[in-house]
Amino acid sequence: MTTIDRRNLIKLGAGAGALMALGVPRDVLAQAAAQGQLTLAFPADLPTWDPNARTLAAVQSLYKLVFDQPLTQNPDVSIKPALITKWAFDNPTTLSLEFRPDVVFHDGTPMTAADFRFSFFERAKLPVPEGGRRLDTAFIWRKVTDIEVQSPTKAVMRFSEPMPSAIAWLAFLCSFVVPKAYVERVGLAEFTARPVGSGPYKLVEYQQGARIVLEANDRYWGGKPAIPKVTIEIVRDPTARVAAFESRRADVAIDVPIREAQRLGTQPGVTARLDPIADIMLLQITRNGGFADDRARLAAHHAIDKVAISRALFGGAATPISVPAAKGTPGYPADFEFQFSTERAQALLRELGHSAQNPLTIKFASSNGAFPNDFEMARAIVQMWRRVGINADLEPIELSVYQERLRAGTLPEATLFSWGNAVGDPEMYGGYLLDPKSIFSAFKTDELAPRIQPLLTETDEAKRIQGYRDAHRFAAERGFTIPLLQTVKTIVHRNEVTITKYDNGWVLPNTYSFKS
Amino acid sequence: MAFLTLQLLFRRLVLAIPILLCVSALVFAILRLLPADPVGMSLPPGATAADYEKLKQAFGLDRPLFEQYLIWLGKLLSGDLGGSIFFRRPVNELIARALPATLELVSAGFALGVIIGGAGGLAMFAMRGGAGEHALDGATTIMMAIPEFLWAILLILFVGVSLQLLPFIGRLGPGIQLPPPVTGFLLVDSVLTGRWDSLRSALLHLILPATALAIGLAPLVMRVLRSSLLETVQDDYITQARLRGVSERRILLRHALPNAALPAISLIGVQGGFMFGGTVLVEMIFAYPGIGNLMVDAVRNHDLPVIQAVALVYCVLVLGINAVVDVAYMAVNPRLRLAGSR
Repeated sequence: MTTIDRRNLIKLGAGAGALMALGVPRDVLAQAAAQGQLTLAFPADLPTWDPNARTLAAVQSLYKLVFDQPLTQNPDVSIKPALITKWAFDNPTTLSLEFRPDVVFHDGTPMTAADFRFSFFERAKLPVPEGGRRLDTAFIWRKVTDIEVQSPTKAVMRFSEPMPSAIAWLAFLCSFVVPKAYVERVGLAEFTARPVGSGPYKLVEYQQGARIVLEANDRYWGGKPAIPKVTIEIVRDPTARVAAFESRRADVAIDVPIREAQRLGTQPGVTARLDPIADIMLLQITRNGGFADDRARLAAHHAIDKVAISRALFGGAATPISVPAAKGTPGYPADFEFQFSTERAQALLRELGHSAQNPLTIKFASSNGAFPNDFEMARAIVQMWRRVGINADLEPIELSVYQERLRAGTLPEATLFSWGNAVGDPEMYGGYLLDPKSIFSAFKTDELAPRIQPLLTETDEAKRIQGYRDAHRFAAERGFTIPLLQTVKTIVHRNEVTITKYDNGWVLPNTYSFKS
Repeated sequence: MAFLTLQLLFRRLVLAIPILLCVSALVFAILRLLPADPVGMSLPPGATAADYEKLKQAFGLDRPLFEQYLIWLGKLLSGDLGGSIFFRRPVNELIARALPATLELVSAGFALGVIIGGAGGLAMFAMRGGAGEHALDGATTIMMAIPEFLWAILLILFVGVSLQLLPFIGRLGPGIQLPPPVTGFLLVDSVLTGRWDSLRSALLHLILPATALAIGLAPLVMRVLRSSLLETVQDDYITQARLRGVSERRILLRHALPNAALPAISLIGVQGGFMFGGTVLVEMIFAYPGIGNLMVDAVRNHDLPVIQAVALVYCVLVLGINAVVDVAYMAVNPRLRLAGSR
């Protein structure tokens, strides 16, 4: 038998003391105030440091810290100048651009129109190695036939056919300027290992899947960021992000669960933001099975109490939407609201011979954990449908399975889906989600094609925007789509940090500061 | 002994080849038969149906399953694990970056599990029949009843958040830079380059995730070792030793333990393999950049080449750990050495 004698007690004490000495004292953990450096707990990592390679909305903010976009956005998502100061369509297929003269890359070389041409035209046309694939910019800018460099600060983009969304795309995914000379000199592998951009921060250290360390760019054309050093901890697990914030290992935590954000927001010295952003949640629907009749789909839409879902699952922060676009964006028809009405839903179902006693049976799919509260929302919708006489068989699926079914045309009647559109342009909503030719649309109908497809090349901006508003409304009124809510972005931060809230969910520490 | 070890390792290597082939074929077939679309997931706006078909061709996904497997196997034999669909980088590069972190983590978890398990087993034996044994028995029940990922969360909440005693995010603390890469192993590189700050930080960051992994191993070792010791001390040679006046401490450590340890070593071999599986969730929770974390990303994005490669790496690691345990078993058990030399 072991007894606790003096010798054992000393051994135990020494062990505990050693652990304490190894451990990090609490006050050292308060990094923000101590050293003027900011630590963020961020949910996603970059697949590659080549910013032209992938259209991934989740990490656009990270790319924006190291690289610059030709155009950027205000917090209200309106487009504003960045590297490009002036832009104008000379004719439907010619876009003239003027660049800032004072932009330098992190290696000290100036950014010119030649770098723009390289990023948006030359790289996209490069031959693809066997088994490889083209950059995503090659798909996005496929209509570009040439970019004529007229001077270091002037260029003209020429298109094979009108691309009215080009302005929006210059501020959207994948559209970043990389240094031509550096990339050509060191090669792609070295460029992605030691990326050089012209953005507000320089990359100091990158541990794949773990952290990104950034240092302020003294020569940034937009002014040196107020926070000199930013560490982004990649923490995929939401519970661990909350823990990182609570233990003061992070000053800001991004995309924490709604309820955790609400709880943390009640703590002294902490601010929790739950804001609707430009991304949307909707039901991708088809004419399969029980949804063949317009009335069945409309009944399903009328039966969903979006306000109740928002209150129950998103703290009331998720704005209900009536069309597949975020409220306040150009393509949203301000005078239209799709009514929640169980009576109307029941009446439509009665016309089809269905009721709570003789329900319409459909299949319903939803991801589980792909975006906040997705499966919970799907279950709530199932309950709401049951009340009016729709019996939905809910199936959890992975996003890759959704893609397979979308491609094969075998999606069930309804699938809960999330759609990102940081730039807010209506083409990136209805243009992709409703156009029957689009690889992203689920509801394929010839009734929408003549309303959407001309808008993809419409150069009269007012006409284009009105066209999308009408098409969005038409699609909702005919039951071709069931839009639900705007996505909610949660950001929890210490009160010592002042953050800028972007309506598209961007997280840009170069716009943050410490309160003095 | 050295010859026998080499002979054993050679036998293990020969046996590993068909096992690896079976595992690779099985993983390959299952992934291809799933109704999921990795190409569709990676398509940007502006892509057309024709682009989709071209990409499918580029990744070889339009060919018959068997042909796809043979192409993949051919490349594998030349050391090429293919290109990642999601990361757009060679899979070799992704694994080379992530594997050292996992090996360090599993080594630490393994060592911790064996030490805690061994010490705990001895303690249980020493306190047999008393309250101490019952308390330790209860503790092992609790340790086994809670899965590793839950232990990971509990450790974070208790040690990391409440006590703020140890870090739990990533591999290094803020403000501490990576040492210059030499071997890719953070601990080793820290020592080789004399970066004691990063060594200290990396060790601290290793404690909680390694403990979460070790909890899966330690209680089993404790129980098996205790039971085995209880049986061994009944043997005649132990009685003889007592009659010769050998001290209880010496009997336990020099005579009983080497024999009683054999079942525990077998168990460690099996559980050590499971430990690699545990890294998937533990690495994600602790934001530890190893192949478990890489696997999570790959599965989310249905990145077939990465999933296949990581599965194969896991298989190689499990076979490797089993071979090491076999060698250890032979070193401890003289009967096996004799059998091997005949």
